[in-house]
Amino acid sequence: MQYLVQLLISGLAIGAIYGLIAMGFALIYKSTGLVNFAQGEMTMIVAYIAWSISTSVDGNPFIVAIGAIIAAVALGLVVERVVMRPMLGEPVFATVMVTIGLAVILRSSINFIWDAYPHDLDIGFGRGILRAGGIGIRTGQIAVIATLLALLAAIWAFFRYSKFGVAMRAVAADDRTALLMGISAPRVHAAAWAASSVIAGIAGVFFAISYDLSPAMFQLGLKAFPATILGGLDAVLGSGVGGLLIGITENLAGGYLGSGMKEVAGFLMIIVVLMVRPFGIFGERDIERV
Amino acid sequence: MRTRDYKQTYRELVALTDSVPVWLWSAILIAALIIAPHILNAYTLSFLTIILITVVGVLGLNILTGYTGLISLGHVGFLVTGAYAYAVLVSKYQMPPIVGFLGAGVIPALASLIVGAPSLRLKGLYLAITTLAFSFIINTVILEARTVTNGARGIAVKRPELFGISFESEAAFTYLCLGFAVLTLFATLNIRRSRVGRAFVAIRDNDIAARVMGINLHTYKLLAFVTSAFITGIAGALYGIYLSFVSVEGFPFLLSIEALAILIVGGLGSALGAVLGTVFIVLLPEATRLVFSLFSTQMDALFSTGAQELKSMLYGVVIILFLRFQPRGLVGLWHDVKRTWVHWPLRY
Repeated sequence: MQYLVQLLISGLAIGAIYGLIAMGFALIYKSTGLVNFAQGEMTMIVAYIAWSISTSVDGNPFIVAIGAIIAAVALGLVVERVVMRPMLGEPVFATVMVTIGLAVILRSSINFIWDAYPHDLDIGFGRGILRAGGIGIRTGQIAVIATLLALLAAIWAFFRYSKFGVAMRAVAADDRTALLMGISAPRVHAAAWAASSVIAGIAGVFFAISYDLSPAMFQLGLKAFPATILGGLDAVLGSGVGGLLIGITENLAGGYLGSGMKEVAGFLMIIVVLMVRPFGIFGERDIERV
Repeated sequence: MRTRDYKQTYRELVALTDSVPVWLWSAILIAALIIAPHILNAYTLSFLTIILITVVGVLGLNILTGYTGLISLGHVGFLVTGAYAYAVLVSKYQMPPIVGFLGAGVIPALASLIVGAPSLRLKGLYLAITTLAFSFIINTVILEARTVTNGARGIAVKRPELFGISFESEAAFTYLCLGFAVLTLFATLNIRRSRVGRAFVAIRDNDIAARVMGINLHTYKLLAFVTSAFITGIAGALYGIYLSFVSVEGFPFLLSIEALAILIVGGLGSALGAVLGTVFIVLLPEATRLVFSLFSTQMDALFSTGAQELKSMLYGVVIILFLRFQPRGLVGLWHDVKRTWVHWPLRY
């Protein structure tokens, strides 16, 4: 029983990280209609930037947090403006391939800017262990779950009440009509990229705090794919929930069926989900008319 | 001035080529490739071998992604399946190499049926993600099935002996790869101009219209998967023999990206493009290294320390630049040059 609870809790913690990255996927898909294969790489870059900041300011958490968020916004905006904006109106295949090219570039840039060794991101919190009835939880794990829940609420409110959120939903629903209504689609796209980059960056920093920082971190992006497929590619909140589900599934599979199953549990789930309900649990069914 | 080609019969329309010079140049190219292994040194010869092996694999992907328009991000899965099929059959169970090659084609083809089945309901991005998932699942399957595949330890593979001819030496192995490359090229060209190939292209251009014309989407999509996996599996076997060691690490995910990069750079859906793209991408890191080493020895040092990273970075940059500025790829460039050459000084 204790083993099960422990698995569930660590599953929730890693699932929250997947969920955050998956929300980043969904944000971009919802507003621009393409899957950003460089999401994991953006996660990694922001985490590395946070690490660089933390080593130069002695790990003051506030400076690290603000610096990482600014860096993430800048990264998202630069990528959107330099790489994605020129591809506006090109076929989906071409734009998605561009994000794959971007992913490859970002991934290999890590070794040029930083190095190939694992590092510890230490900002003086998140390493402590809380004990309750024989079950240990790291404070960083609690923090990431709390952050995911807070962000889910914030994003729900943003899409529901703020003017810009409504504009984003309008562009997602029908970009031509949105343009006629006076909404600037490029600005919405830029905002989506920046927001997605920030969310991915938060996930990256939390991952680096709880585990470690290494050039293999981009694989988080691949691991988060199942989450966003399960939740629905166009469902931002659903992707967050999907992340939690995938995290738990993965940990249970790993705990009871062996480590090999842990690696592929998510991917097996993708295939099942895509066969049964390709638009995900919370996604909108895509109806094609002839 | 050459005017347009007037095709009067169906046979003329689907002919491999109607131009004598094309046959002539192809013959000269083949002759050059036959002489090449005797002239080139070992270092340059390895590039030629890699190009020939890659051509086989890329032509395989081209059938699926180029002709049928189904994006696969997991083709490395078929590549590694083919390599393992050959290694297990030949090195472990002492089967003759010809059976190994057959298995290297058939086993990935069977695996492709499993991936292909969900693809019947999926399109575009969703399919790409399924194939991506497949390539990760296959790696785990290989690592877990230790009794057959030796798990993470891998399998050593020797150069084969086919029909009494030993392909032990580098030059002989290059001939083997050349044989496979030429065979594959003819096979794909023939598939493209047959009923099946036209059905593939119809599905790519508009699947609903294709269905209305009486093309069974399920059959033809699965057929595309099977053909593509068969050819890619053969390429995997050749690559395994070239590395002389088959392991999961020998087939990184980057190979899938590289194959797509080659197709985009060459020109999607064209066999000529696949060949041009392969030559371009395989030689690109080496060419860049040569150019930079002319400027300074410092850059040369950078290339030797971060060779792998720099290589993948180049792929990324090339993919983005081609998609942005020359979406039709090298083939498009070639057609433009040809048209300008024929019509000059007129523009059209």
